[in-house]
Amino acid sequence: MIADTWLPVAVVLSSLVPGLFIFFLAESRVRLRTTLNLVGAFAKLALIGVMLWGVLHDHEYVFTHTVLPGLDLVLKADALAMLFVTLSAVLWLFTTLYAIGYLEGAPNRSRFFGFFSLCVTATVGVAMAGNLFTFFLFYELLTLATYPLVVHRGTEKALRAGHIYLAYTLGGGALLLIGTVWLYGLAGQVDFAPGGTLSTLPPDTAGQLQIIFLLLIAGVGVKAALVPLHGWLPLAMVAPAPVSALLHAVAVVKAGAFGIVRIVYEVYGIEFAQSLSLLLPLAIVASITILWGSLRALFQDDLKRRLAYSTVSQVAYIVLGVTLFGPVGTIGGIVHLVHQGIMKITLFFCAGNYAETLGIHKVSEMDGVGRRMPWTTLAFTIGAFGMIGVPPLAGFISKWYLGLGALEAGMPWVLAVLAVSSLLNAAYFLPILHRAWFRPPPETWPHEHIPLRRGWETAPLLLLPPMATAAATLIVGLFAASAFSPLDWATLIAGREYLQWTP
Amino acid sequence: MDTLILVSLALPLLLALLVALPRSRAVALALAPGAPLPALVLALAAREPLLFELPDVLTGLQLGVDDTGRVFLLFTSLIWLAAGWYARGWLADDPRRARFAVFFLLTQAGNLGACLALDAAGFYAFYALMSFAAYGLVAHDNNAVARRAGRVYLVLAVAGEMLILSGLLLALGLAPDHPWAVACLLLGFGVKVGLPLLHVSLPLAYAAAPAPAAAVLAGAMIKAGLLGWLRFLPLGDAALPDAGQILMLAGGAAIVGGSVIGLMQRQPGAILAYSSVAQMGHFALGVGAGLVAPELWPLIAAALVVYAAHHALAKAALFLGLGVVARHGASFIHLAGLALPALALAGAPFSSGMLAKLGLKDALAPLPAPWADVLPVLLAVGVLGTALLMARFLVRVREAPTAGGAPASLWAPWLLMLAGVAGMTAGLAPSASWTAALQPGVLLYALWPILAALVLTVIALRLRLRAPQIPAGDLLVPFERLLATLARRLAHLRPPALPTLPTHAARRPPRLESRLRAWPLAGALWLALLAGFIVLLAR
Repeated sequence: MIADTWLPVAVVLSSLVPGLFIFFLAESRVRLRTTLNLVGAFAKLALIGVMLWGVLHDHEYVFTHTVLPGLDLVLKADALAMLFVTLSAVLWLFTTLYAIGYLEGAPNRSRFFGFFSLCVTATVGVAMAGNLFTFFLFYELLTLATYPLVVHRGTEKALRAGHIYLAYTLGGGALLLIGTVWLYGLAGQVDFAPGGTLSTLPPDTAGQLQIIFLLLIAGVGVKAALVPLHGWLPLAMVAPAPVSALLHAVAVVKAGAFGIVRIVYEVYGIEFAQSLSLLLPLAIVASITILWGSLRALFQDDLKRRLAYSTVSQVAYIVLGVTLFGPVGTIGGIVHLVHQGIMKITLFFCAGNYAETLGIHKVSEMDGVGRRMPWTTLAFTIGAFGMIGVPPLAGFISKWYLGLGALEAGMPWVLAVLAVSSLLNAAYFLPILHRAWFRPPPETWPHEHIPLRRGWETAPLLLLPPMATAAATLIVGLFAASAFSPLDWATLIAGREYLQWTP
Repeated sequence: MDTLILVSLALPLLLALLVALPRSRAVALALAPGAPLPALVLALAAREPLLFELPDVLTGLQLGVDDTGRVFLLFTSLIWLAAGWYARGWLADDPRRARFAVFFLLTQAGNLGACLALDAAGFYAFYALMSFAAYGLVAHDNNAVARRAGRVYLVLAVAGEMLILSGLLLALGLAPDHPWAVACLLLGFGVKVGLPLLHVSLPLAYAAAPAPAAAVLAGAMIKAGLLGWLRFLPLGDAALPDAGQILMLAGGAAIVGGSVIGLMQRQPGAILAYSSVAQMGHFALGVGAGLVAPELWPLIAAALVVYAAHHALAKAALFLGLGVVARHGASFIHLAGLALPALALAGAPFSSGMLAKLGLKDALAPLPAPWADVLPVLLAVGVLGTALLMARFLVRVREAPTAGGAPASLWAPWLLMLAGVAGMTAGLAPSASWTAALQPGVLLYALWPILAALVLTVIALRLRLRAPQIPAGDLLVPFERLLATLARRLAHLRPPALPTLPTHAARRPPRLESRLRAWPLAGALWLALLAGFIVLLAR
């Protein structure tokens, strides 16, 4: 069927084409730009819906284009890809709506939305890449597409953050390239396949494979903000709130974590990675990252910086789950890919609302903000409790499976990491909630831009996206065991990854 | 019945939402006291064990009523009903009563849910809702005392949550009798139960919270921790002598320590809190005995459930009565009303307390050697301690200042609670134990501590003996001082920063950097890299 090969391409094009058009739109064409954005977002969702149905019924959508003999561009919609594609498409829609409200009247919107679309295009490409080469292409495109978004404001601080961002990510890209080429030399083109393909290589290549693993993980680990490669992330929070939301929840950080998932499960194979004793070091790095990120978050007064360090910590949960040898840990890691995205995007939306509505940028300015902006603060509260891992929110489900997975993998010390990290999460989120709900509000807010209007505490387009994602945080956690939940899908993926070696 | 289970949980949540929304606030506030009614009806109507499964929720939620759960649900919903009714009068003039109501209803939903949940994740979810929402009750008054109490409560509660989660995961993932699982669960729920050293938040929270909140904290919520032990420890299945002995020692320490420190308190609320520590020590004793001797567990469990119902109702009645006295003064009739639950707690003849204490004593009697000799003494000390604490409480209540406030109908809900104290344990107890308890010897055994306490109190009052004072929260105070000193010491130490790229790259482009930037070198390196790749590819 033609649709089988072209659907993945259409999903990529559904944001690429509107994005390219938007670049050439005049600043004033607000309505046309909005229409293009939304048509793209809804078209992508519709296409994904079709593919989800197919993938659930063991259908595969593959597009292959031979660039050079032995070097193919492959887009493939498997279960793992669909998880990430769906997440990014849904959150892209919310973020687009939010960005329209956030940037109302701001300059350079065509440039912004153009790159915004490119960024999602790259993310979708990363998700559906069928081999390391394709993955690398889209991964680098993502770096280039996000740079203009990080420096969008054009201030000196933003430019500096942008430089550092590029230095880190291009460096990471170089490592990834070296690893990819080296692996190509060893094994030829490496396709992503459940269970991995490298275990068939002769045993004397084990040493090389270990070094390649290090290179690849270091390469994608930059974007995943593994300590000590995380330095760019807290700086990149100078970007506008919708960009931070996208960066932290969907695009960049997540692409890095997703890369680690692909490399461990579908390049090396979890069993082979275990036999090369690659998982334990990665688990230790992830644990250090989890604790370090939480610890640093404690000391940040700037709200977005605190959230950024929290991302460092939370994304490492995904990596940790990947390294837990056994299906339950896999489920925990993969499902957190989705859960962390929904929760973190909520928190960044809320941070953006505080800044745009009242000029609040710091935790110390948040006294009594719950009375002025109850709905935003409610969404923030749900996101924060989700991050701590309080049931019935999404983060609890992740933690539950990660904990059980750690025990299944014979690594009970991971439970201590999870518990300490949750304590630290509570230590940096609960004081914010106390301020917001229990302290009296100040006489005047730092800089009130948007007054109360007809019961709306802020602009509707700023309020509704975080409300929706907060509701999603509750729903995916509360109904985790139902069909079509992220947990259900992660279970499907884990089943396919472990099919190869059923013990 | 399934619908009733859902309604019991949904109603408090729904009302919390409606109180939060300004438009429906007035109506919802008026309806709020009735929120626990469906749960009460459920507890009264459920004659058979019920199980209602919601496989789509969390990890497969199981709600239901079993024998233990039914008793817990019964006294929990009754206390919440009385407290909610009482809160309407207590907070009539409070501008923040809507916020209180939201937290009150959320805590209530969590507490009722914990009684109804039968699976691990579900129990943990409701328990967490209860623990976190109760912060809003403890910190409600928003003065320095309430804030400190709230902070201490929250820190301990969060630590407890993490231990419980770890313990549940260990029990599910490894084995229910794995030593770590047992340790985590004992300590995690121990925070709520007020095990020694974990008890420090109780005196602060009970004294700081508004009277109806203190009643639910001390009556209902503290028992949720006990229920956690009963539900998730491998009681009756596995013998864990070490853990059991340690827990029994902790219980003994709580009984003695709670009584002694309680006698050195001045605030009536703090006296009651230490009495709770001492009373909860009995549960630690019983559960510990169950771990030591699993074959005794069925008897011990039955005794503990009766004890739990008795203590929950009596303590709640005491706190509600304390509020009545604080608002309306210590008239004779008020003191008589307080004396009823106080006597019950002290195990006076014909009271629920006598039944509960005798039941526990009999259940623990067959324990092996050292305990067989120690326990009667320990229990006697406990009874005497409680009697003394109650006497001191009644003395201090008379002397405590009356805050006064708008005349409000606090009477009716208090009477409901007192009726509960009088009626419920009698209804629960098997009739055989009643007849056994009516023997003259037994009655005398129940009477002597009260008489002794009476005599001692009168002597102390006559001689104007003053007890030495220990601040409420005992060990917390030096601990806080230590923390403050540490914080001062650490203030000028900056948090360590990992050497990350930006600091180096941004501040001073090092010489190496500028050399690398020179085009000839950069170009050469690039070519070298390219050559390297080609070599790798060609292999």
